[in-house]
Amino acid sequence: MRRRQKHFLFGVFDDFEKARDVVSELKVLDLKEKVIDNIELYSPIEHPEVEEILGTFHQPIQRFTFFGAITGAVCAFLLVAAAAQSMFTVQPQGGKPVIPLPMDIVITYEGTIMFGVYSTIVAFLIYSGLPRRLKKYYSQKVSEDQIGIEVQIDPTKSDKARAVLEKCGAVEIREVTQ
Amino acid sequence: MSDYSMKDIEWAKINRDVLASLESPRKEFWIVLSVCIFLVLCGAAAEVYQYNEGLGTALMNKPHFWQLYISNFVFWIGMSHSGTLLSAILLLTHADWRKPIYRFAEAMTLFSILTAAIFPVIHLGRVWDMYWVLPYPNERGIWPNFRSPLLWDAAAITTYATSSILFLYVGMIPDLAICRDNAKGWRKKLYTALSIGWMGRASEWMAFRKTYVLLACFLVPLAVSVHSIVASDFAMSIMPDWHITSFPPYFVAGALYSGCAAIITLFVLLRYVFKFEDYMTTEIMDKTAKLTFAIAMVWNYLNLSEYASIWYSNDMFEKEVLLEKFFGPYHWVVWGMLLCALVAPFAMAFEKVRHNMWAMFWLSLVLQLGMWLERFQIVSPPLASNHEPWTWAVVWPGLIQLTITVASFGWFTMLFLIFCKVFPSVSMYEVKEMVFHRRKASSRTDMEDLDKVKDDMIKAEEGLS
Amino acid sequence: MALKRMLENWSDLRKRDYYEDEPYMWGMSIDLNKCTGCGSCVTACYAENNLPVVGKERCGSGHAMHWMRIERYWEEPEGETDIDIEQSDYPERGAHYTPMMCQQCNHAPCEPVCPVAATYHTPDGLNAQVYNRCVGSRYCGNNCPYKVRYFNFFDFSKDIPAPLEMQLNPDLSVRSKGVMEKCTFCVQRIRSAKDKAEDAGHRDYIEDGAVKTACQQTCPTEAIVFGNLKDDDSKVKTLWAEHEVELNRHEQEKVEDARGYRVLEELNVEPSVMYLDRVRDTEA
Repeated sequence: MRRRQKHFLFGVFDDFEKARDVVSELKVLDLKEKVIDNIELYSPIEHPEVEEILGTFHQPIQRFTFFGAITGAVCAFLLVAAAAQSMFTVQPQGGKPVIPLPMDIVITYEGTIMFGVYSTIVAFLIYSGLPRRLKKYYSQKVSEDQIGIEVQIDPTKSDKARAVLEKCGAVEIREVTQ
Repeated sequence: MSDYSMKDIEWAKINRDVLASLESPRKEFWIVLSVCIFLVLCGAAAEVYQYNEGLGTALMNKPHFWQLYISNFVFWIGMSHSGTLLSAILLLTHADWRKPIYRFAEAMTLFSILTAAIFPVIHLGRVWDMYWVLPYPNERGIWPNFRSPLLWDAAAITTYATSSILFLYVGMIPDLAICRDNAKGWRKKLYTALSIGWMGRASEWMAFRKTYVLLACFLVPLAVSVHSIVASDFAMSIMPDWHITSFPPYFVAGALYSGCAAIITLFVLLRYVFKFEDYMTTEIMDKTAKLTFAIAMVWNYLNLSEYASIWYSNDMFEKEVLLEKFFGPYHWVVWGMLLCALVAPFAMAFEKVRHNMWAMFWLSLVLQLGMWLERFQIVSPPLASNHEPWTWAVVWPGLIQLTITVASFGWFTMLFLIFCKVFPSVSMYEVKEMVFHRRKASSRTDMEDLDKVKDDMIKAEEGLS
Repeated sequence: MALKRMLENWSDLRKRDYYEDEPYMWGMSIDLNKCTGCGSCVTACYAENNLPVVGKERCGSGHAMHWMRIERYWEEPEGETDIDIEQSDYPERGAHYTPMMCQQCNHAPCEPVCPVAATYHTPDGLNAQVYNRCVGSRYCGNNCPYKVRYFNFFDFSKDIPAPLEMQLNPDLSVRSKGVMEKCTFCVQRIRSAKDKAEDAGHRDYIEDGAVKTACQQTCPTEAIVFGNLKDDDSKVKTLWAEHEVELNRHEQEKVEDARGYRVLEELNVEPSVMYLDRVRDTEA
């Protein structure tokens, strides 16, 4: 199967407000002609408002954390319980409880946190799409103080999107097909 | 309203200032670094000698089975506490003055753990069999004994070390991307690998913020548990003056205390060396000092209540140890600790002291000395006057132990120096966020808008809406 | 099946007195009235258990390895001092000797703190130390209220001069550097006695006196009595009963003529060694 070529426009703006205008204009354009596949915003700091303009992100990281922590608790408890049981078969402990619960709690606590942290990191990598290669059109200005707007668009209609970007005061526009 | 008086800084300047701290180390840097490496080599030589000859060369004996290695271990673990714990607590409470100082504090955490982790290894009689402490399946069917607090230590420290590394690393990814965009040569390769392709996309930022807050939620209880478990090494034994119920909170308070003091020390040094006056302002120092003062008072309370409870319990053994502490051969350690860690912090009650960087620097060193003496007086005097009067003996740590102790400071400084030159010690993106929200706040004047800005800031930090 | 057996084991192992059905429970009694503090028990222990002789210097620095030691305390005699005794060649100074070795606690504080489970409780009531497993964290040494655990701070076996390694006891190992060790109640003797009893066909019964610890064997005044506390006719059990010392009690009630006590028993560590208090007649 032949992979469809993707066409990207990347505009750099020096203000978050401008970027916000661009996105709304592009959305208007999309409503009219249905040409835009995806819009992505690049920023040097976090802007929680982007959810209002780009739509909400579905990133259930906390679910990973929750189940990771539960797995950790169960694993740590089972490890200690199994080790204690195994020790009893080779080494009598003089009438002490086979599975020492107060000690188990300590290890379970640590196991919960350890697995919780690991699974959160895994979820972070999954939902942020990292690690990945840098895109060709990525501008270093974005890590400094400017906002980047990436538009994935039908190559034939890219002129219109370009016009929108320019109209809103793009400092620089890069165009890449891959 | 936030009351820090940070100037409105251009974002590009933030990048320039912080990245400048990575470049071209001065001559002084190499001198200090080589002194540290020399100290580490001395420590390594001492350890090799001790390894070959036996632990007796360190002048430990019966009843002083534990000595400086353990007190150093507790000291370094304690120092590791404030970094991650304070960073996480301040993150969760939206205290934005944390932003310029948390990076180096977290690095300090990491390196103190790496220093602390050396001590149990050095301390063991048979280092070469250390892996027996790990729970791995083996043909003998023997497992480690999870009843032992030392195993809890191992579990807690492994968890804490890995989680702290991840917390530090995740918080640093956006900054590593900035470094990547401005670096050349081997640094470019290093930062490209470490920044794992961070481009600041909106989806990345959303996932990042959520992850960061979730990690902080884990790290707060974790850090508290780690030092409680270290305290259990003592509290779970039956030794008089070790077997104390209030030890876990006492240790946690002491850990935060010495850690805060260490943050102040490094704060002043970094501010001076890298000229970070714009970011590490007097107001931030003021807040850190107030926090340290509050923690010092908690520690004081727990310390004095421990003495009181021993005194009023009238337990023969514990009272003996207490009296020996104050009037016995180790009395100057105890009085020194009380002077440095109990009396000295009251200087922070004065605003003049809190606003004077070098006064705070020397004060923080005094506090740390006090806390180091505190760890020594926890370990040694109870062993010197234990249950069995016939074995009472006073032993001072020998040359080998002192060398390794000094080497541990060299090791920590070495790691920290290398960190400062390879990774940004001030969080660039978070300082930008701070500036951004402040700029937004100052551009609007009426109170309603300010409230909205505050809400925005809170939302920005929660990221969980 | 395996699960069923495991559950059965559990209820078995969790019993309050797990070792109740065991035929042996080794105990000791030391009569301080008889002890003269001569130190022959210490010497015997050195010879029997391959203890390293560390020399004057290391002894002074606290690295001596005597599993058994004679503790000497001074107790000023009560009442008025007798001028005659004071001026005689042997004035009463109130010297008080306590032979001290591992008390083989039944609730041993050293056991739970070992990270690698190198020390544990054997079914016959001994506090066993597995040298091969020990990694030398020395937590047990700290947690021992009697401070009777000895750590190999140096590689002492290197220092044995040439022909003397021939006199080492082949029944037990020579410990290496970095390992904790302590009195075992001469476990090698107990083991061979058990083997002999098994050969003779009575596995659960060793006659009283068939096992003698090295210190007991050497004691010129027979102050040390060792035996099986589960055997009602054994000498040690009789002595324990006579002086009203029992296991599972924090404090022994003092009755007339009963001199028995266990050292630091208020810590509830359940030592297996009973001491008989020294009685002194200062007026005679």
